[in-house]
Amino acid sequence: MNLDEAIRLRDPAQLPSRRDEDWRWTDLRGLLRTIPEPSSPLGPQAIGVGPFEGLAAESLVVANGSGPETLRVAPGETRTVILRHVSRGDGAHSARLRIEVGGGARLTLLESHEGGGSSLSLLGVDLTLEDGASCERLVLADLDPEAVAVVELDVELSAGGRYAQTVLTTGARRQRFETRLRHPGLRSEARLDGVYILAGRKHADLTSVVRHTGPDGRTDQLTRGFADGQSRAVFQGRITVQEGADGVDARMAHNALILSDRAEVDARPELEIYADDVACAHGATVGALDDDVLFYMRQRGLAETDARALLAVSFLGEVIERIDFAAGAERVRSWLLARIGAGV
Amino acid sequence: MTQMTRPDSTAAMLSLRGLHARVGDREILKGLDLQVPSGEVHAIMGPNGAGKSTLSYVLTGRPGYEVTAGSAELDGVNLLELEPDERAANGLFLSFQYPLEIPGVPALTFIRSALNAQRKARGEAEISAPDFLKRARSCAADLKMDFDMLKRPMNVGFSGGEKKRMEIFQMAMFAPRFMILDETDSGLDIDALKVVSEGVNALRAPDRGMLVITHYQRLLDHIRPDRVHVLADGRIVASGGPELALELERHGYDKYARAA
Amino acid sequence: MPAVKDTLEQVAGLEKYEHGFVTEVEQEFAPRGLDRDTVAFISRKKDEPDWMLAWRLEAFERWSAMESPDWARVSFPPIDYQDATYYAAPKAKDGPASLDDVDPEILKTYEKLGIPLREQEVLAGVTGAPRYAVDAVFDSVSVVTTFKKELAEAGVIFCSMSEAVREHPELVRKYLGSVVPVTDNFFACLNSAVFSDGSFVYVPPGVRCPMELSTYFRINAAGSGQFERTLIIADKGSFVSYLEGCTAPMRDENQLHAAVVELVALEDAEIKYSTVQNWYPGDPETGKGGIYNFVTKRADCRGDRSRVSWTQVETGSAITWKYPSCVLRGRESVGEFYSIAITNGRQQADTGTKMIHLGEGTRSRIISKGISAGRSSNTYRGLVSAHPKARGARNFTQCDSLLIGKSCAAHTVPYIEARNGACTFEHEATTTRLSEDQLFYARQRGLSEEEAVQLLVNGFVREVLQELPMEFAVEAQKLVAISLEGSVG
Repeated sequence: MNLDEAIRLRDPAQLPSRRDEDWRWTDLRGLLRTIPEPSSPLGPQAIGVGPFEGLAAESLVVANGSGPETLRVAPGETRTVILRHVSRGDGAHSARLRIEVGGGARLTLLESHEGGGSSLSLLGVDLTLEDGASCERLVLADLDPEAVAVVELDVELSAGGRYAQTVLTTGARRQRFETRLRHPGLRSEARLDGVYILAGRKHADLTSVVRHTGPDGRTDQLTRGFADGQSRAVFQGRITVQEGADGVDARMAHNALILSDRAEVDARPELEIYADDVACAHGATVGALDDDVLFYMRQRGLAETDARALLAVSFLGEVIERIDFAAGAERVRSWLLARIGAGV
Repeated sequence: MTQMTRPDSTAAMLSLRGLHARVGDREILKGLDLQVPSGEVHAIMGPNGAGKSTLSYVLTGRPGYEVTAGSAELDGVNLLELEPDERAANGLFLSFQYPLEIPGVPALTFIRSALNAQRKARGEAEISAPDFLKRARSCAADLKMDFDMLKRPMNVGFSGGEKKRMEIFQMAMFAPRFMILDETDSGLDIDALKVVSEGVNALRAPDRGMLVITHYQRLLDHIRPDRVHVLADGRIVASGGPELALELERHGYDKYARAA
Repeated sequence: MPAVKDTLEQVAGLEKYEHGFVTEVEQEFAPRGLDRDTVAFISRKKDEPDWMLAWRLEAFERWSAMESPDWARVSFPPIDYQDATYYAAPKAKDGPASLDDVDPEILKTYEKLGIPLREQEVLAGVTGAPRYAVDAVFDSVSVVTTFKKELAEAGVIFCSMSEAVREHPELVRKYLGSVVPVTDNFFACLNSAVFSDGSFVYVPPGVRCPMELSTYFRINAAGSGQFERTLIIADKGSFVSYLEGCTAPMRDENQLHAAVVELVALEDAEIKYSTVQNWYPGDPETGKGGIYNFVTKRADCRGDRSRVSWTQVETGSAITWKYPSCVLRGRESVGEFYSIAITNGRQQADTGTKMIHLGEGTRSRIISKGISAGRSSNTYRGLVSAHPKARGARNFTQCDSLLIGKSCAAHTVPYIEARNGACTFEHEATTTRLSEDQLFYARQRGLSEEEAVQLLVNGFVREVLQELPMEFAVEAQKLVAISLEGSVG
């Protein structure tokens, strides 16, 4: 199973399927009988303007699989970079980007996934943070309903560093964000958050694997979302604490609302612990909006749609409040409001 | 949005006739008649399980409470045809026996959204932010509430007494025309009871009406009713002046429980 | 703390694995290996009707085409299914008429294990033993079932599976394999082909079973496995509480225990099924020997408002691999799973439950307490799913793991699948180590380290122990203490 090879060799047998335990709810092999032709290159007018426009001077664009292959932030430097992943048409493409953040440097990465058409796409990112380096990644993904997209991120965190991400998505025909983080501990911290707003027949899968390899590390995860229509939300989170990684404090929460009888939410929050001096916890809830609270709000005069929207915004808002980059949080908040108004 | 009509001088403000209602398969209101004229405060007393809370939910349109027969009108407007928020915009306010918690929504945000929604439904302009805050500060001061409490998520982590105070605060902010107080005294100590009662009494006016639902007479020492009704087994089985409440306090509900 | 002291005193006199002795008794075996003839041999030994043999052979054909699953977080060398014996029975008439017909050596075995088989003594209050009915299964056969007469008066059928196949074929044919289909999984399929004995219970409509029922499983023979099959049917409005206990001698080889338990609860019926599993865990130092406990247990809450509750205390076996589950089919039916799983030495456990919500308004509750010590590995694996029609389904899951020592492992792998807009699932899990602060506090008050650990562990598992029938709760508490011996210091 290897999506990159599946696309390069146009071999559907390489696609992950539900027989792979980690893909049981995001079956690609059952969905795609053939791999589409390679996508054709995109002209500048097909690329347009992204949702983070104006928040950073520097902008990288990966369009239909072609774009820059490396980004290096020098030690001690502070940079904000926009990364746009744009897909158009009905082809297949994959790209890989290597990001290195030098010792003590800070990178704010504003990443968007746009368009999609009915393409099959893979974006792989390798992110290395040297000692004391930090990175905050904000992701807005709003793809067409026929797109199939996978984004893989491998993060190598170092001592005293910090990695934080907030992925917000409206899903696609099939979509997966997979984050794999190697956590050396040594006073480093990770925050992996997510928000999904799904309607129609969309699907989104937020998967993360955090491997604590050393002592005294912190991981904090909060994912919230709602599924309406016939959509399907998948949350998979695995926290592994290796032998000797004592003093690890890891918390994971996933809270989902199902707004329709035909929507589905699947979750697998996993703890895999090989050390004894740890404090690990996860909590997962799935439910509907509370009818009693809705009635209470309506008794005070709010129309049902407004009451639902207000509840949804406050429910998802707690994830947005955890974003460090204030201007980014503002942009994300209005992005969210625009989609909740229509979606709830 | 249904237009409000002016009350005609002969009809009561709140008029319930032959009201039957059920929850699931259980019939709880079994032909309830009640008239509350404008300017009056009526108390509904009765044993546990008589249908007191059901009455408040039926009038405010809580889903799951099904009216099977009879009518309920507020100033001639058929309440039963309206959505819960339309009833609220028509000036009907329920102070809940168990107010709900709304995580993540600050009380002030919630109240302002609700107030503006009501005003919009009535064709009135939105209240400006400074006017709203001024009014909120003044109401909070009247109810001896810490203003910072209003910045916290609605009712989350509040004590029973704080939640009740928050209900009366909202009542003061909305200035509704007809108020239903469902067991407002439960969970209040004597000082809080006084403050809350003062808040309620301040809203008494010739063009307003009020229904006070309570199991005990205690609250009625502070909010003096014009009329007292006994609700037992889904019907009003006795009505009288304030003295009826005192009699109930002395002799209990046994007589009515048997009568019903 | 008199309760703690009691426990400690009881524990003090016990060996690490106190049930590890072998009974010298003349036994009859099936020829080593597994083919159609072995299946036919077992069926013939049990004097079974043709339909039963046909059912077994069909299962054998299906099994031969299946592969051993590998998804659980347990590891063991491949099992050679041809190098085992599938039938071992004490040489005696099949199904002894009375206790007098039972080999005195076997009676002694049960006496040693503390299992009351002598009704008259129990009735006369001689032993002071609790009053409950026992079906005693020794290797492949049931040697005795007590209190049959009194139960029959209440209309309750409690007998060995072999007897049920002969005496109550209509019930067996109706329900056997209706909860766990023959091809459900590799081990259930194997069991369907070669199952030896087990218990059968039928409680008629409206009857509250007058006493606790229990089955005591004992693997004695070397080189053999145990493949028992249990079927419990609670007809409309009935109630039954059933307990299963298991032990085996200490042997260097691994022995396979692949049981199937099927429960059927019809309208308004309730079944409480408790397990105290204490198979030989293998040598704690070398990991040699011990039972492979690969069991399929499933309840079908077929009727509206039916209720099934699984309670398990899993302390034994080299490998435990089981997920007692509930299919919540009836409207407003309820499933519960209360589990204590303790692993020490080199034990591996992968256990949990599945709550499948199919009916409207169904509810389930899962409380799992896992304790890992030594170099063991303990996994909770569970599934809670609500199908589109299961509106109003609710689940609450609490899954806690406690780690004692540096070299053990604890995993939590819950699967949650919600497929309608009116279900409410809540899942909480924690993994912590035994609190140093609490340990110190207890020691400051005068408890030794071992005592303090036992005290804290007892507190950790209390919620689940409370779900056991009273007679067994004390037993289970002792077991918890014994299993953790040598885990500190």
